[in-house]
Amino acid sequence: MNEENPKKSVKGKIVLWALVLLGVYFAFLPNRFASSSILDFAKGEPAPPTDSFDLEGFSRIPVLRGGRVKPIDSVARNALLVLRNKRTALDEAGNKIPAINWFAEVLFNPEVGDKLKTFLIDHDQVLGLLGKKLSVDGKFFSYQDLEPHLSEIDASAREAGKVEQEKRDSFDQNIIELYRSALLYRKIKATLSPPDPQLSPEMAEQLQVADVLFDPEKDKDLTAEYVRFRELTKELSSRPEDIRMGSADFAKVVFFLDHYSRMNIWSEFFAIPPEKSDPKKQWRSIGESLVGKEPLDSKEKQKMDPSRFASTLQELVSMEPDALAARLLQIRENQKMDPTVLFASQYAEAIKLRREVDPVLGLYEKLKASYQDQDYSTFNQTVAELRMVGTERAGDDASTLEFEKIYNGFEPFYRSSIAYVLIFLIAGVSWLAATYSTTLGRKGETARLLRNAAYILTAIVLLSHTFGLAGRMYIEGRPPVTNLYSSALFIGWGAVLLCFFTEKYLRLGVASAMGSLVGFGSLVIAHNLSLDSSLNPTGDTMEMMRAVLDSNFWLATHVVIITIGYSTTFLAGFLGIAYVCHKLVLSLFGGTTKYGSKLMGTQKDAQRILGAMIYGITCFSLFFSLVGTVLGGIWADQSWGRFWGWDAKENGALLIVIWNAILLHARWSGTAKIRGISAIAIFGNVVTAWSWFGTNMLGVGLHSYGFMDKAFNPLMYFILSQLIFIGIAYLPSFKSKPTIEASA
Amino acid sequence: MSKDTKSKKRKKGSLGERRKKFAWLVPLASINLTLTLLSLSMILVFVATLEQVRIGIRGALAEYFESMFGIWYYPEQFWGGEFLNAIPIPIPGGYLLGGLLIINLTAAYITRFQWTGKKMGIQLIHLGIIMLLVGQLATQAMQEESRMQINKGESSNYIERFHGVELAFSDVTDPETQRVVTIPQEIIEEGGTIRTADLPFKIQVKHFGVNCDFTVSPEGSTPAGLVKDVNRGVGQTANLSISEKEEDFSSEGLNFGYLIFELFDGTNSLGTWLTLAHPGGNHWWKESPKLSDLAFQPIRHEGKLWGVTLRSEREYLPYSIELLDVENEFYQGTEIPFNFESDIVLNLEGNQSRRALVYMNTPLRHGGKTFYQYQMNAAANYTVFQVIRNPSWLVPYIACVLVSIGLLWQFSFHLIRFLRKNSNSAQPA
Repeated sequence: MNEENPKKSVKGKIVLWALVLLGVYFAFLPNRFASSSILDFAKGEPAPPTDSFDLEGFSRIPVLRGGRVKPIDSVARNALLVLRNKRTALDEAGNKIPAINWFAEVLFNPEVGDKLKTFLIDHDQVLGLLGKKLSVDGKFFSYQDLEPHLSEIDASAREAGKVEQEKRDSFDQNIIELYRSALLYRKIKATLSPPDPQLSPEMAEQLQVADVLFDPEKDKDLTAEYVRFRELTKELSSRPEDIRMGSADFAKVVFFLDHYSRMNIWSEFFAIPPEKSDPKKQWRSIGESLVGKEPLDSKEKQKMDPSRFASTLQELVSMEPDALAARLLQIRENQKMDPTVLFASQYAEAIKLRREVDPVLGLYEKLKASYQDQDYSTFNQTVAELRMVGTERAGDDASTLEFEKIYNGFEPFYRSSIAYVLIFLIAGVSWLAATYSTTLGRKGETARLLRNAAYILTAIVLLSHTFGLAGRMYIEGRPPVTNLYSSALFIGWGAVLLCFFTEKYLRLGVASAMGSLVGFGSLVIAHNLSLDSSLNPTGDTMEMMRAVLDSNFWLATHVVIITIGYSTTFLAGFLGIAYVCHKLVLSLFGGTTKYGSKLMGTQKDAQRILGAMIYGITCFSLFFSLVGTVLGGIWADQSWGRFWGWDAKENGALLIVIWNAILLHARWSGTAKIRGISAIAIFGNVVTAWSWFGTNMLGVGLHSYGFMDKAFNPLMYFILSQLIFIGIAYLPSFKSKPTIEASA
Repeated sequence: MSKDTKSKKRKKGSLGERRKKFAWLVPLASINLTLTLLSLSMILVFVATLEQVRIGIRGALAEYFESMFGIWYYPEQFWGGEFLNAIPIPIPGGYLLGGLLIINLTAAYITRFQWTGKKMGIQLIHLGIIMLLVGQLATQAMQEESRMQINKGESSNYIERFHGVELAFSDVTDPETQRVVTIPQEIIEEGGTIRTADLPFKIQVKHFGVNCDFTVSPEGSTPAGLVKDVNRGVGQTANLSISEKEEDFSSEGLNFGYLIFELFDGTNSLGTWLTLAHPGGNHWWKESPKLSDLAFQPIRHEGKLWGVTLRSEREYLPYSIELLDVENEFYQGTEIPFNFESDIVLNLEGNQSRRALVYMNTPLRHGGKTFYQYQMNAAANYTVFQVIRNPSWLVPYIACVLVSIGLLWQFSFHLIRFLRKNSNSAQPA
């Protein structure tokens, strides 16, 4: 390890730099794994094309979904993540379609969009329900494939929904997921293209709404209908006495109001940016922009008193707009239990206060029409207008939009996970090389070179991992750990960082290998968490935080520190595994090959160092888990009034603290030697995994921010694997090899 | 630690002296005892966490943490549960392990720790741990949890315990000078006949329970079971029938306490009443018209009008809280709340008052009590505070500071040594 070689061979240098470049390529440069690269952040947006749709620009239009303003690109990607577990769709021939192209088709050209393969169905019985076979039809389906079976899906999902959540079998879960997926898809489709009122000719005749309704032959687009509706309400508000049951105009208004209000239910995201005068910065769906939001569930309408409704509405509409606005606010504040007055207030707002058709509505209509007509220049120009209006009206909320769009395509964690595999391979090869040269009694220049490569690569991938975390922090405006998903990202990051420093001082390749293993593993776990529909129903891993968690101070201290505690405990555990593997290799080959004695000569040294590393890292673990747990107690005292409540998650953290304390005390007292320490450290993996995931599965306690049950089996397999490692450590053949040691 | 202890023993006489002086403490200070206790705590915490699924946090607290030992049965739904479930497994309880750990640590303090600057980190850490343990024991012994519900525009000057009831008689003959006599749960639980000089009658407890199921039987049906003797009050007019039920320890559990009692004036029976306590506070009875009188069942006796009710145990405060407004906001287009907030006025004695906002992570602290935003219903315009009195709340804070300083002290020693040792052998990349 400590050899000095002044004449570094040129060949060695080339190999080193080639490996480093490969790492940079995976982590930052344009490659086939991600759709944007580090260069795109610097380059900015490309100029809109003239001979095709400017989907780049389209993907940057701000909308609101899941409580957060984000580019349309994020909505498209997250929706596909829920529907297909991927960030792309497939066309009929099976070619990949980028999320934004798919989204444009679904929004504006549903005939084409419905044919794209959007849904992942891989449960054989669910497939059977649709009359499909996995081996023949594959597992990806289009909405068109589902459409004839929607009623069956609906009925089966309803049945499954009656079963208690804990008792649902895999069919139940899958059919419910499919039902939700189909619903999500239909809502996306309807968001910008409101469904038809489905009016029978007789009804249309009776209500006399034909002259207001959209007429495809005369009107350019739906805005014509909206404008006519506005004229109707303006006219009605000038003669409030006509607001009564039996008035023809009022009946028309009521019809459209109901129709537009219903559209709100079929809206997946909010496309209309806040109105300039709105202090609350409310985004709106098309229906809300036209007639406001229903104050209560529409079922409550049955509880209304019709005559009081009409008289209240009449009274409200005859007020001056300013006075009316104030009065409406008052009603919503003070008469929350009175559906009659509440609905009257919505109607009054729609009739009197919402006077203009929002220009954004027209822009989206134009976008739709030009997309269908393949009119590139109109489409691209409308996109530009929409972005301008949107970002202007959204204000500060849209400031991270550009970044988020490029960040989405950059996929820092996917890139990092590939680079981690590379590091692990290099470190692994370095051991082989070291073993080989040791058996020949050489100095092992290749091994040293590879270890250095792994070390430098760790630095590089650490940069991209850090960039990924920092990007999330910038977009969310929050500390790094906000939910289970981001805790996985952070655990990996912390472990790799610590390994990087360990490797700086102990250039053995062990820390690099174990760091990359933990890093890769945590990113894989994170990816699977992002796919879990119970944890992540919108597909957006940057969801909003519920009230009690909404404290950047505590998120930044307690949550971050306790997560570092998880991370270092895992790292110590993986070093324990490294120790076990090392021993296993030695015991398998040490006695048999003729070089065995030389290999065994390295044993003591390597084990001493591993033991020291486990010890050092466990010191960190105890520090972070103890401080983190105690800070958690203080937070709990602040928000729930007790320092310690024996809540499941708190107990989990306590277990980690105690376990780390046991390891350290066992070492200090001499009760456990290196092997014992390693075994304790490996069991620390079990304890940490329990605390991280297991406690969430119990479904009890206050920390239920990430309930999940799908992870149960993986957790059990993980625990079993750790127990096997511990078992190997205590295999009798390991105890001592007197014969070999004597010869060595 | 122990390795160093030996080498230092000769130099530092004090430790050796202490060991001699307190020789009987040496076995109690054993680090192997520490390891055993810590390992047992792992089992305790793990089992008690699992058991929360079955018996709730309060149940697990009573069975495992606030006891010397608990009995655990392997859960039936786990692998091999059918066979293992039958075996009772004793689990050492929180008081036992906590107490032993405190003894172990204190003994180690006296006979094993060196009182030197270099080891000061260790001492601080362990002192902090002792404080945390003692603080937690104290908290569990002294902490009281109550709630206070206020409707918008109204004010309240009492808090109600989450658990525990009292029988309250209020003399409302003269609305100006209302007089209330309460009988706490402990006395009711003893049963028998209760006499007090404040009441002109005797109370004979017939049945009492902390939880029950109750139903309103159709009119005309004859009362049976527990309620067969009830001949006065709501129990009779609403035809209430009840059946005993075990206390529900889970955090969502609702426990309706009940009491059937007979009043006597001398030997002359005044009648038998049934009272029910609503777990959310007796004002909730007003929501159901037939049972609304459970909050106040009138009794006329010797020209006086009394009202009787079984209610959550109350504590009256020397100040009152008025609710001005409640706000409950959600992120747009989601069901994720981002704010629960109560806008209140605290009316103190002497006509002083101050405004305050109570919201998540920001409680109101006054008079040794802390008011936390607990529940609210913005539509129905009321808010519920959780009220906690915990005299030892400061202890964990001090303990944390000690532990943090100690940890930093100790690990920076180690880290510096590690860096010094390795900086020589580090190779350039």
